[in-house]
Amino acid sequence: MRLPHIELTNFRNYRELELEPAAGLNVFLGANAQGKSNLLEAIAMLGTGKSFRTSRESEVIREGASRAVVTGEAHSRMGIVRLGCMVESGPRSAHKRYLVNGKDVRYARFLGRAAVVTFVPADLQMIGGAPSLRRAFLNAALSQEQPPYYHELVRYQRALTQKNAMLRSETADRELLEVYEQTLIEAGTALWLARDEAVQALALHAEQAHRRWSAGTEHLELRYHPNVPAQAPTHDAVVEAFTTHLRAHRDAERVRRTALVGPHRDDLRFLLGGTSLAAYGSQGQQRTAVLALKVAEYHVMRKRTGEAPILLLDDVLSELDAARAAAFLEGIGDVDQGFVTATELDSRFPAARKFEIDAGRLRVQA
Amino acid sequence: MPVPRAIAEPVAALINEFSKLPTIGPKTAARLVFYLLNRPRHEAQALAEAILAVKDKVHLCTTCYSLTEHDPCDLCSDERRDASMICVVAEAKDIYAIERTGAYKGRYHVLGGLISPMDGIGPAQLRVKELVERVGADAPAEIILATNPNAEGEATALYVGRLLQPLGMAVTRLAYGLPIGGDIDYADEVTLARALEGRRVL
Ligand SMILES: [Zn+2]
Repeated sequence: MRLPHIELTNFRNYRELELEPAAGLNVFLGANAQGKSNLLEAIAMLGTGKSFRTSRESEVIREGASRAVVTGEAHSRMGIVRLGCMVESGPRSAHKRYLVNGKDVRYARFLGRAAVVTFVPADLQMIGGAPSLRRAFLNAALSQEQPPYYHELVRYQRALTQKNAMLRSETADRELLEVYEQTLIEAGTALWLARDEAVQALALHAEQAHRRWSAGTEHLELRYHPNVPAQAPTHDAVVEAFTTHLRAHRDAERVRRTALVGPHRDDLRFLLGGTSLAAYGSQGQQRTAVLALKVAEYHVMRKRTGEAPILLLDDVLSELDAARAAAFLEGIGDVDQGFVTATELDSRFPAARKFEIDAGRLRVQA
Repeated sequence: MPVPRAIAEPVAALINEFSKLPTIGPKTAARLVFYLLNRPRHEAQALAEAILAVKDKVHLCTTCYSLTEHDPCDLCSDERRDASMICVVAEAKDIYAIERTGAYKGRYHVLGGLISPMDGIGPAQLRVKELVERVGADAPAEIILATNPNAEGEATALYVGRLLQPLGMAVTRLAYGLPIGGDIDYADEVTLARALEGRRVL
C-alpha cells in the first residue's frame, strides 16, 4: 500500500500543500510546532477517516477557512483508488465527508481503503492506562481490517446507549429492555469472537518480536479478557454466557442504573513471565511490550489484507532510547511506505526521502 | 437570532415564523419572505389558505392514524383493500412511499415515530397499544413490519413483533436487499450479507 500523491487544503497550518512521498520511509524534519504532526494526522485520516489527535475535528480546519480537505491516491494490489476526507465546519459540530473516486460514500465504505498503522507517544501509556485505551486500540485496528466488525460495533454501541437511557429513566418495560439486550447479545457476540481471534493473532506476533529483543529471557503474553467469560470461543457458547450473565446482573444493573455486562467492559491484558505488566511492570517493560504490540498490529494487518499497511510514526522514536527504537524498526522490517516525524535526522532511519518543514512550508531535502 | 430593527415589522415577523420550520435557518427564511413579497397577492393567499386547511381539515384516522380529511380514511374505508393484512409504518409519509409501488393492497397502521429511549420516546409515546387492540379485535392473517432498516427501526420492529407474536398471526418484516440496478461488487459487505440471508428459492 502506497500513497504516491497527497494534497492538503486548509488543513491545520497548511493552506495548500502537495506532497509526493517516496516508497520506503519518508522523514518529516523540523523544529517543534512547525506542522510535522499535522501532516501525519492528515495522512492517517485518509486511512481511518478520523483524527488521532483530537475528537473535536473542527480543529483541523485552518483558521478563517470553512473546510479542510485531504486527498490522496492509494496504490494497492487492488489497483488505484482516489480517496478524500473533508471536515466542514457546522453550527454545532464538524460535518465529515468521505470520497472514493470522487463519489461521496458512507464512512463504512471509506474506512480501510488505505490501511494505516499509527504509532504516537500516547500509545506508550496504553498498558498502565484505563481499559478504554486498550479497547480503543482493538476497535480501531479491527474496524480498519474488517468492515463487518465496524458494523457490529456501531450496532452494539447504539443498543447500549438505548439500554442505558432506559436504566436511567426507570421505565420498567421488560419487553423493550429485552429487545435491546437481544441486539447487544447478537452484536456483542460478533465483537467477542473477532476480538478473541485478533488477540490470539496479535499475541503470536508480539511474543515473537519480544522474544528476539529480550534474547529469549522474558516471555510476553497477550490475553483477551472478556467481561463475559465463555466456556469456549464459539458463537453458541458466547451467546449462552452473555445471556446468563445478563440475567445474573439484572438487579445490579437496575440499582447502578447502567449496563454492567458486555464487551464494552472488555480488557486486553499483558503478562511478562506470567505476571501482570500493568500492576508490576516497570515503565521500560511496559514500553517494550507496546512496541511488540505495534509490531504485531503491523504484521497482522499485512497478513489479513495481503499487503503492507502504511506506517505512521509521530515523534515516537525520539521518545525511545536508541536500542528500543532500533529494535522496533527491525521488528517491522522493510516497509512498503512509511512516514516519520523527527526534530533531527537520525542515522537509524533508512530515509528514502527527507522533507524539511518550516512554518508550514515543505522542502524536499537532497 | 434577532432580526435587525431596520426591517418592517411584518417582514420581520414572517422571517421569524419561517425560521421556526425544520431545516430553515434565518438566511433561508429571509429569502423566502422576499420571494413572497415579489409574488402576486393571490399566490400568497393560496399558500396561507393551504397552510390553514392542513390544520383545520386534516385529522388522524381513528383506525390507522394516518392523515385524512374524513374519518375513517380512504384506505380504511375502501372495501376493495385486503383487511386481512396490516402494514405497520413509522410515519404517514411512509404510506405514500409504499402506495407508489402499487404492490400492496392491504391496510396500514401508523405508529407515529420509532422507539428511542435516549430521545425520550418509548412505546407509550407511540400508537403501539392501539395497534395491539386493533389486531386483537380484527384478527388479521398477517402483520408486515415496514420500519426503516436502521437501529431504531429494527428495535421498534422487534418490540412490536414480540407483542404481536402471542396473538397467533404471521408477523413479517420487509426483506433487506440489493438496490435494483446496482452492482453486486459495489454493494457494501453488510448489505450483501443481509441480502444473502434473505435469499429466495427461484
Ligand atoms: Zn385509516
